[in-house]
Amino acid sequence: MTATTTVVGSRGVATVRGWSAVVPPTVLVSFAVLLVVLLWSLLPGVLASQDPVNGVPADKLLGPSADHWFGTDHLGRDLFSRVVHGTASSVASALVAVTIGVVVGGAIGLVAGSAGGWADIVLARIVDVLLAIPSFLLAVVIVSWLGFETVNAAIATGVSAVAVFARVMRAEVIKTRRAVFVEASVLQGGSRTHVLLRHVLPNASRSLLALAVLQFGLSILVIAGLAFLGYGDPPPASDWGLLVSSGKDYPTAPWLVYAPALVVVATVLSVNRISRWLRRTD
Amino acid sequence: MNASYLRYAGRRLVQAVVVVLLAYVFTFVVISVLPGDPVTNTLRNPENGFTEEEIARIVSYYGLDQPIAVQLWQSLSHFLVGDLGVSLRSNLPVTRLVAEVVPSTLALAASALAVALVLAFAIAYGTQNLPRRYGQGVLRAFPSLFLSVPAFVVGLLLIQVFAFQLGLFSVIEPDSAWATFFAAVALGIPVSAQVAEVLITGLDHESRQEYAAVARSRGLGQARLFAKHLLKPSSLPVVTVVALTVGELLGGALIIETIFGRTGIGSLVQRSVSTQDLPVLQAVVSLAAVVFVVVNLLADLVYPLLDPRVRTEPASASGKAGLGEAPEQPILERQVSVP
Repeated sequence: MTATTTVVGSRGVATVRGWSAVVPPTVLVSFAVLLVVLLWSLLPGVLASQDPVNGVPADKLLGPSADHWFGTDHLGRDLFSRVVHGTASSVASALVAVTIGVVVGGAIGLVAGSAGGWADIVLARIVDVLLAIPSFLLAVVIVSWLGFETVNAAIATGVSAVAVFARVMRAEVIKTRRAVFVEASVLQGGSRTHVLLRHVLPNASRSLLALAVLQFGLSILVIAGLAFLGYGDPPPASDWGLLVSSGKDYPTAPWLVYAPALVVVATVLSVNRISRWLRRTD
Repeated sequence: MNASYLRYAGRRLVQAVVVVLLAYVFTFVVISVLPGDPVTNTLRNPENGFTEEEIARIVSYYGLDQPIAVQLWQSLSHFLVGDLGVSLRSNLPVTRLVAEVVPSTLALAASALAVALVLAFAIAYGTQNLPRRYGQGVLRAFPSLFLSVPAFVVGLLLIQVFAFQLGLFSVIEPDSAWATFFAAVALGIPVSAQVAEVLITGLDHESRQEYAAVARSRGLGQARLFAKHLLKPSSLPVVTVVALTVGELLGGALIIETIFGRTGIGSLVQRSVSTQDLPVLQAVVSLAAVVFVVVNLLADLVYPLLDPRVRTEPASASGKAGLGEAPEQPILERQVSVP
């Protein structure tokens, strides 16, 4: 009896903007993880009171404990505090990347899909080129062109994601343009812009949203990879990838790698879970 | 080999050539507009004590006094005949630098692909044949987990456990068999996730088909059904997915080679990035694009031969040479559809 109640309680029925769907417990957990990440990036000072930059040298390389949840690094800095203070730049840069992907890629896909003809063919080849260059390599080249900063790593990641968004957007536009209700709208005198704004974009937004969420998780990984290679902000910045990279030099203090790594994995796993849930409730 | 297939092959070939050429131009433009070209920077450095005359001579030797378009044309025409230029740092031909590191990266990427395929097929097998209640759910979560773990974390974890604790390999001998194997595991895991996802989707789809129901009703066990009927049609899309992951194997090598201390394309790229050795960067990026395009061209050409259901004619008038032709579709699927 109790078991049944728990199950029903945790699988509450949610109606989010017309989607009536049961929210699985894992999705709720994922949202909770992302909420924590969001709070970390908005209020790092409140949630981690210890100084992320100036450590206590006497406390160096301590294992995880009640005082230092993630242990301390080689300068005696509290690792939890460093992770929390690095959240904003790790996560915000992924948001920048996704925004670039959605806006630029979406625009290319929209033009290709609605103009058709030569514009479509030309844009298709541009997208092919972007796909042909391995995206991580492309990101490295772009970041080395712009300079080694986290903002630039975000821009580079965004550019390397443009192609995927362009593809999905174009497919959606073509799908919607062939729909009967669009035909009806055109017959009633709807202009090209009207059809685009009223019908095509709203219909494409769902697929684009699911893709954007997925790409957000991917971008966190790519940006962490760039930071790991030293292509982001230099220390004492504490981007997650950078923390793992500097932690790997202390094999006797494995928590320096595992703690930030675990945070990355938990975040990306949650993002991916939500993306999958969004696709399924479509 | 009918006319429609040949037309399709011809069209794809032309597309591939165009994409390679455009990729070269794109890389050239990105790289050549780098703020301050390294040659002039080095020359202008007062410590090197070049006179204006010498500077002018060297600049014209590298062709840097020419307009960008002329430089592009010269560079592209050399690329087409296999001349990748000269490294700005070591003065060695780029072809030689690249040739030195290719075997190591190739070995790593090939082993990674092998690991990925074995893992993916094992996971897919499990999702169909293990008891529904215990094994399947866990296995189905694997691809998602694999895609959420950064490759560098997997690499460090493997080194921590197998090198430092079990002493199976030593980090100072990065080319030993075990070291290569674990590097390949780290590189192959994200790839295996993508292959597994496609396989599982395919297997789920096939096992709902009527022929599967018929086979079951005639008493065929799940394991035999899997091996004899479900596996082949579900494995076909793997060809396309594997071709698409070539880029990831090359890109991922950047990180994995750093962690495992291997010399390869990845370390060459990193060195060229830090020393601004532009001809090397240009060469590696364009060669990566060539490899990607060629592998995907082969996959697209082989696919219709393997799967007679695939139509080689453009799906409709508006699909003409567009972004969403049938053989290109799986890119989208890889990103968007998770079972």
